Amino acid sequence: MTTFKAFLKVLNKNKFIVIMYTAILVFFGVFNMQTSDNSIGYISTKPDILIINNDENKGLTKDLINYIEKNSNKVDIKNDEASINDALFYRDVNYIIYIPKDFRKDFLKGNDTQIEIKKTGDYQSSLADMILERYLKVASTYNEVIKDENLIIKNINNTLKDETEIELTSTVDKNALDKAAYYYNFANYSILAGCVYIICIILSSFNNNMIRKRTIISSTSSRSFNRTLLIANSLFAITLWLFYVILSFILVGNIMFTISGLFFILNSLVFSICALTLAFLIGNISNNKNALNGIVNVIALGSSFLCGAFVPTEYLPDLVLKIAHVLPSYYFINTNNLLTKIEKFNLISLKPVLINIAIILVFTIIFIVLTNIIFKRKNKLS
Amino acid sequence: MFYHNFKYTIKTLLKDRALIFWTLAFPLILGTLFNMAFSDIENKEKLEIIDIAIIDNTYFTKNEIYKETFLHLGNKNNKDRLFNIKYVDEEQAKKLLAKKRVTGYLKLEENSKKVVIAQNGINETIFKYVTEEINEQEKIIKSILEYKLKDINSSINLDKFYNDLYKNIKETMNNNRIQIKDISSNNLSYTMIEFYTLIAMTCLYGGILGMVAISKNLANISSIGKRVSISPVSKKKLILSSILASYIVQVIGIILLFIYTNIILKIDYGNDYLLVILLSLVGTFAGLCLGTFIACIFKLGENTKTGIIIALTMFFCFLSGMMGITMKYIIDKNIPLLNKINPANMITDGFYSLYYYDTKTRFYFNVISLLLFSIILLSISILSLRRQKYDNI
Repeated sequence: MTTFKAFLKVLNKNKFIVIMYTAILVFFGVFNMQTSDNSIGYISTKPDILIINNDENKGLTKDLINYIEKNSNKVDIKNDEASINDALFYRDVNYIIYIPKDFRKDFLKGNDTQIEIKKTGDYQSSLADMILERYLKVASTYNEVIKDENLIIKNINNTLKDETEIELTSTVDKNALDKAAYYYNFANYSILAGCVYIICIILSSFNNNMIRKRTIISSTSSRSFNRTLLIANSLFAITLWLFYVILSFILVGNIMFTISGLFFILNSLVFSICALTLAFLIGNISNNKNALNGIVNVIALGSSFLCGAFVPTEYLPDLVLKIAHVLPSYYFINTNNLLTKIEKFNLISLKPVLINIAIILVFTIIFIVLTNIIFKRKNKLS
Repeated sequence: MFYHNFKYTIKTLLKDRALIFWTLAFPLILGTLFNMAFSDIENKEKLEIIDIAIIDNTYFTKNEIYKETFLHLGNKNNKDRLFNIKYVDEEQAKKLLAKKRVTGYLKLEENSKKVVIAQNGINETIFKYVTEEINEQEKIIKSILEYKLKDINSSINLDKFYNDLYKNIKETMNNNRIQIKDISSNNLSYTMIEFYTLIAMTCLYGGILGMVAISKNLANISSIGKRVSISPVSKKKLILSSILASYIVQVIGIILLFIYTNIILKIDYGNDYLLVILLSLVGTFAGLCLGTFIACIFKLGENTKTGIIIALTMFFCFLSGMMGITMKYIIDKNIPLLNKINPANMITDGFYSLYYYDTKTRFYFNVISLLLFSIILLSISILSLRRQKYDNI
């Protein structure tokens, strides 16, 4: 009990670190939640387009603006060039269309006209390109033949009316699953940086030379001391994991009550245990708190960046992903991502998930073995 | 004495391994990680060739327009290639879609066309969009024909008329009279901001060096400070030499980071290297002043002060976009004042304006803000250090 009390004391001293990493997890969790709306029907993706109209807002110009607005999201940006440029750089807008003065007149007369645009060059802006080009193409074709503006507009709208039938096969709510995956992927950082660091700090406090000498001469056997420490640390890791799981129910919502949700939870449990053994390994390597801080930070940030906790894996270079295979986080995050794609749960669809979990367990065993080797060698030396 | 203290401050700073790790090595490690994680994002955001399937039924093979257009859009030699197309039967298409090998498939029927997709997304939208566009020609020809038929008499050869019209319209559709001119800047790579915040972080972290160096001269903080204070050396000399020594270590760190990010990681700092150097020297100075300020104002231990500088720096960097580039934009747009007094943002924004803007007004605004920030902090520190004397401590 004495050991356990001492453990709680050290933990209490470091509670701010736990609170901080949890706060980061919640913040990024919530930050990500705002962006998506749940739905199972088809919704077309709309780029963010800003139109700067220097022409009179009537007739064909008005119709062009209407068409673009119907197929894009409206963005609210202050109308000065610096704000517009900033918005483009930070991808608040994907595409900016500058309609020149007298566009309508020149167009109807059949003169060559030029529309200036600015674009980000990504998927969304390519779609915006298509939308604008399509309207202009149809409009100028009609303009060659028909001379009445109203009739041109009527024909354009008739032609551009959307008539393709769309069938959506997926029944899973991909958005909600993505949210869950994002949350648990990010938890990779919180678990590694928060939980591992705290356990290392606690171990190093107990391993401090003076404290060690004091515990050795005490009546408590070293076996019971070590066992209490192991249980206490495991209890801490499991409590923190449970807390993160409860948080996920609040932040992610109903999808956590499905089988996919269950696997997210199971996967994170296995990973937390792996992190616990990793913490024991690092805690046994060094006693220097400054060094521990450095090691844990590099490991936590390194595996979070390389394995896709911060940046989704589909955006990572292939080489980086190959390197990431040597880290347990890769398999944890890979499982989270796989879970967003599984529609029917059976042995075949779950096979890659189970393999990943097995690999994390292998890492866990390796960490335990290494810790034991180092511990024994240290004891011999002392 | 100035030189003596200067030399030994540099030695003490360089020998403190934890200090050197956080101020010199950590930024390099973080830069490497940033580079590994972000180097491909912008490429992967560009439109790539989309995998689709088309059901090869009789309706499709008979429909010339569809067949031709998709042949063109799927042609490997076409520079505007949009699709990688598999022509399969319906069962196979369903399998491909279930395995996520294709974005979706197109099924033509007698009077309708159907696009089947697995989920919502931009690839799906583009696929649908293109199928709609193919129909346009038909529709345009139909409506123009209706329009024209009103004026012509029945004696005309309808077949020939139709063919001519078809040819004409196809030609006009391909020769668009309206040009779209792209006037966007070439420097639109937003991941650069991450590296700029990294420089900002390094500049401000450098404050820890200044703080440690100054603390060694303060009698009320450390034992070394007590010993130094009773020596017959003017405080001005001691503080100045300590500040200069830590500034030099800081600048070495920044130079290392620049060389590494610019030459090895190929980060673009714009073309004006003199201004880049100016901004980083001023930025490091701001970090130094922050460190000095915290060393002088708070009567706390060295570790707590380090904690304060790290926490402040991280918070400043967070606001200037280190943990998510959008954050900088959100603050700039909604609470501009907060970022105008944030030193990390002044540095980040300075580099950003060098990279993205042609004019230098914004850059100099940031440099002057940084100088003001430094002078204010430094003045407060000097005021608090003046005439500090202890009868006992």
